[in-house]
Amino acid sequence: MSNWPANFMHALSEHGLDSDSVQRLKSEALEQATDHGLPPERVFGPATAYADRLARALRSTTVPPLPASGKESVALRLAGVSKRYGRRQVLRDVSLEVGRGESVAVVGANGSGKSTLLQICAGTVKPTSGTVERAVHVGYVPQSGGTAPFLTPSEHFELFAAARADSRGRGIATGLQLAAALGWRPRAKQPVGQLSGGTRQKLNVVLGELSRPELLLLDEPYQGFDHGAYVDLWTQIDRWRDTGTAVLIVSHMLSELDRVDRIVELDAPEE
Amino acid sequence: MPRLWLHGLLELCLLGLLEEQRDYGLGLTNRLAEAGLGFVPGGTIYPALARLEATGLVSSAREPSTSGPPRKYFELTMAGRHALDGRRTEWREFSRSIHAVIGTKELT
Repeated sequence: MSNWPANFMHALSEHGLDSDSVQRLKSEALEQATDHGLPPERVFGPATAYADRLARALRSTTVPPLPASGKESVALRLAGVSKRYGRRQVLRDVSLEVGRGESVAVVGANGSGKSTLLQICAGTVKPTSGTVERAVHVGYVPQSGGTAPFLTPSEHFELFAAARADSRGRGIATGLQLAAALGWRPRAKQPVGQLSGGTRQKLNVVLGELSRPELLLLDEPYQGFDHGAYVDLWTQIDRWRDTGTAVLIVSHMLSELDRVDRIVELDAPEE
Repeated sequence: MPRLWLHGLLELCLLGLLEEQRDYGLGLTNRLAEAGLGFVPGGTIYPALARLEATGLVSSAREPSTSGPPRKYFELTMAGRHALDGRRTEWREFSRSIHAVIGTKELT
C-alpha cells in the first residue's frame, strides 16, 4: 500500500515548492479525492506524476515584461564578423541581428565556430574583423564551467546580483525563484562542487538570467539535463522572448528549432 | 476518442463552462461528461485548472460544503472573459477551415 499523500508532498517539494504551498496542495488534493469518492491514486494517478504536472502548471505565471526602452529594438547586431586563429579561419563574414522579444538559434556542424561566435557576441573574444553592437545588460550561459566549486548556489546568486547594483537579499530570492522554474531547489549549505553536472548547468542558466538581461546568450545550456528540465528550459526560453528579452541560443537540438523565430546556419569548417 | 481531440481544447472548454457558472472540480468533470466530451481524469483536469489560475484567467475560493470537506470553487476573472472571447473566435475560424478541408457538409 503506497502512501500517496507523503509521496505527493515529497515530489512537490523536490519541484521547489515551499512547505506552505505543499501543505495546501496536499489538503486540496485529498478534499478533491473525497468529492470523487475515490482514493487519490484513482483520481489523480501516481503521486509523483501528478505532482510533476501540477508543479509545471503552477509555474505558468508570467515573467513581468522588461521596461520598454523606446530607443533601440535591436539588442545584438553583428556585421561582417570574421575570426581567424593563426591560419585557421573559424568564422567568415557573419552578419546577424537579434531584436528584443526575438529568439534566434545558431546551428552548424561541429567546428563551424558556434561557440566562438557566441563568445564574440558576449564580448569575451575579439573578432579579427567586423563590428559588434550589443545591449548594455547581457547574460551569458556557457556550455559548462563558469561556477565556483566551493561556493553555494546562494553565494553565486549574491555575487552575480552584486554585479548589477541589486541588493544581495534580492539576488538570493530571485535566484531561488528562477531555480524553482527549472524544477530545482538548492540546498542551503551544499557547495556547487557537490552538484551533478545537470544541476550545475541549471545554476548557470539561473545566473545568466538573474539580472534580467536584455540579451541572453545560451551555449547548449542543457548538458546533463533530464527530460523534464529540458522541457522547462524551452518553456523558459519562450517566456524570456515573450517578455522582451533577445535570446540567442546555440543548439544541436534540431527538433526544437521550430520554437525559435529565426535560425542562423554557420558554414561547415574548411578542410 | 474525445480525449484525443480534447487535448489542447480542455482549457477553452473549462473557460466556457466557468462562464456559464462557477464550479468545483468534480462539477466540471461531470459537466464535461454530460456534454459528450467523455471522462476527463483528475490528473488532467486539476492541473489545467491550476494553469488557468496561475495565469490569472480564473480565481478560486475554498468554501465549506454541507456534505464533506471544503471545496475549491473556480470562477472566471475579467482576464479570463477576454481570453475566452479571443480563443472562441480563433476556434471558430480554425474549425471552419477544418470543416472545409475534410468536407463536412453542414454542422453548425
